[in-house]
Amino acid sequence: MTQSPRTFEADILIVGSGITAAMMAAHLVEHTSRSITVVEAGRASTPLRERAMARERYLAYGESPWKSDHLDDQNAFGTTWGFSPSMTVGGLAMHWGGVSPRYSPEDFRLRSLYGVGDDWPCTYDDLDPFYQEAEERMGVAGEQGPVALDPRGKPYPMPPLPINYNLAQLQQWAAKSDIATWSTPSAKNSVARDGRAQCQRCDTCYPVCPTGAKYTPDITWDALVQSKRVTLLTETLVRRLVADPRTGRIMQASGNRTDTSGEAFTISAKTVVLAAGFVWSPHLLLLSQDSAHPNGLANRSGLVGKYLAGHRNVNAYLRVPMPLIPGINVQHSLVSKQFMRPPRSSRYLRHDLRVWESSVGREPRLRNDNGDLLMGDALLSDWKQRASGATARVRAYYDVIPDRESKLILDDAHRNRFGDPMPSVSFRDAPESAALHMWQEEQLRALFTRMAKAGGGDILRMENSANDLGQEHPAGGCRMGTDPMTSVVDGWGRAHDHENLWVAGAPAQVSASCCNGTLTFAAVGLRTASAIARDVSSPITRSGAP
Amino acid sequence: MSETTPSPGNRRHFLKSATVLVAAAACAPGTDATITTDSPRAQPLRDADLNSAQLSALAEAVLPAALGAEGQRAAVTAFVAWCDAYEPVAEEMHGYGYADVRYLPADPVPAWRAQLDALDRLAQRVHHAPFASRSLAERQALVAQATRSVRGERLPSPLTASHIAIALVSHWASSPRAWDMALGVQVAPMTCRTLDGAVQKPLPIVSAASADSGVRSGSRT
Repeated sequence: MTQSPRTFEADILIVGSGITAAMMAAHLVEHTSRSITVVEAGRASTPLRERAMARERYLAYGESPWKSDHLDDQNAFGTTWGFSPSMTVGGLAMHWGGVSPRYSPEDFRLRSLYGVGDDWPCTYDDLDPFYQEAEERMGVAGEQGPVALDPRGKPYPMPPLPINYNLAQLQQWAAKSDIATWSTPSAKNSVARDGRAQCQRCDTCYPVCPTGAKYTPDITWDALVQSKRVTLLTETLVRRLVADPRTGRIMQASGNRTDTSGEAFTISAKTVVLAAGFVWSPHLLLLSQDSAHPNGLANRSGLVGKYLAGHRNVNAYLRVPMPLIPGINVQHSLVSKQFMRPPRSSRYLRHDLRVWESSVGREPRLRNDNGDLLMGDALLSDWKQRASGATARVRAYYDVIPDRESKLILDDAHRNRFGDPMPSVSFRDAPESAALHMWQEEQLRALFTRMAKAGGGDILRMENSANDLGQEHPAGGCRMGTDPMTSVVDGWGRAHDHENLWVAGAPAQVSASCCNGTLTFAAVGLRTASAIARDVSSPITRSGAP
Repeated sequence: MSETTPSPGNRRHFLKSATVLVAAAACAPGTDATITTDSPRAQPLRDADLNSAQLSALAEAVLPAALGAEGQRAAVTAFVAWCDAYEPVAEEMHGYGYADVRYLPADPVPAWRAQLDALDRLAQRVHHAPFASRSLAERQALVAQATRSVRGERLPSPLTASHIAIALVSHWASSPRAWDMALGVQVAPMTCRTLDGAVQKPLPIVSAASADSGVRSGSRT
């Protein structure tokens, strides 16, 4: 006897529970009275009270602090560098580093300004209030950079994490190369805020903050679920969206529990939001093919899963003549946006710049230069000598223009327990980026060499991203745009082909800039949430931020 | 000086070598020098059953004398606790760099236990006396002989050390207090502490006594 699937109803269904989904749910709770159901294929992972111990074991052994945070049969294949198998309440942002820069205004007008890539259908100014909202909701500590390089409508919600003893010296050193730097904006409490502790510079922000000073999406989910404004269904894998063949409206989501029951379910919803990241959002659209949509939903343009975007980097360790002491706060850095605004006349290279203290070259060693085994006092003496030097680490993410064939496809060779093909991803540079790749990395190596020399130091080690790998802070796959033939969703994230379907955050992005992307994923998601709130036309019922 | 050459495809490795005072990524051979906790506060999972007299004699031979006898004892205690609480084939931290899930290695302790016994047998063969009874110089020579096949300049993470002598040194060297001894200041890397102190130059270690153990005690978080 076949059992009928369990059924649910919701006004707004959000697929995914990562940082974008958390931000959006928090916004929607305050701006609509509609019922909100969130589905997450994974489970809740290590609760805050267990993270101090989890951190200890991570430090001691390299153990994952995040228990049961993935599904064994639900994973991506292909070029997955930059991808994480995490599938848990809170998503990848449970173990992000908390680094929260905004993109620069130029990112949204690359075609107009530089003749490469595509312009976004919105501007930096359009996104500014949503950046601010994301910063407020997460709690971002930041320092206002030079206004021309780092425009913002309002101040950061928290003062910056301090420029520590090491970074103060490195800041002066960078200034010798005429580079302005400031404290990297971070979703970490520089002061106690919203019931969360001040950062204690435990230096394991990635992968686990033991104090809750770093924002993780479970903070928002806990508050929303407690308020009973949001229903969070865990171990609930949406495998298909079903569209009305006549109107194109999404009628329901169907799938199975990922627990041992494997129970089937359906959820009927008036509004459906995909906030499942750059892999699982296009993956679900492609899986949802039917006779009316043989290439998957929202795919009139054929661009679902296309234009995957990201950036690469050049990284270097420099020996610098100053008394740096590794260990003061290694995960905090200086940042500069000075190179995100190149002259229009130059060849295209946009990059960020980060500067850290480092202990590379300062570690104890097993054998000395003669190959003699070091033991006891000889080891300590050798170590002291090595430790007396100073190392700076510098890294620049540089912008990569995505190619149309930078893509995600369904891979029949890998299937989950329900028989669904898993995603396979491959990144490809647009021709303009491919042509500039070598030159761009040469420029960055030259910059680091100049910085080292200006400070009286030299290069210890320099390394490039390998070009056959994936890209960092990946995004795209359901790009936004004004033309339904060249984009999947409109400038607000609404699918061109389905009026009640929205794709939010990372997958909607046109490009991925040259800095950490998470804050922008959240801001783009919040902008989408604001449009959804208007769309469902419900009275505003502000109840205070969760 | 040899440097880590991270696999370019491994962002996890990249992150570790980049931030550098890094967590004990116990698994991948060739990882950077690490900071470990001295003894995770987890309940011991089992008794490593390492001969304490032999281990103490080994510690005296391979750990700095500057630790003092008490500091060396503390280092041994912390190492044994670390061995006792290790969970073989636990899941490694993933996150970036690869999509597959990886697992920690098998329990290294049985091999280390055998190596400890082998050091004693070697001492019997060479000196006709137990390892623990030999002079410091003789014990160091025996350790050098037992580890002569260990190549490379790098001090591996404790979990990937191929000999117990190296594991013991590595475990001690990865403690925040060992770093403080090497740096000559009170910075206590990887230790949770207030933001306020970050802007000041860390205070120097004022006397040998203040750094006598080289091993932290108590909770850091």
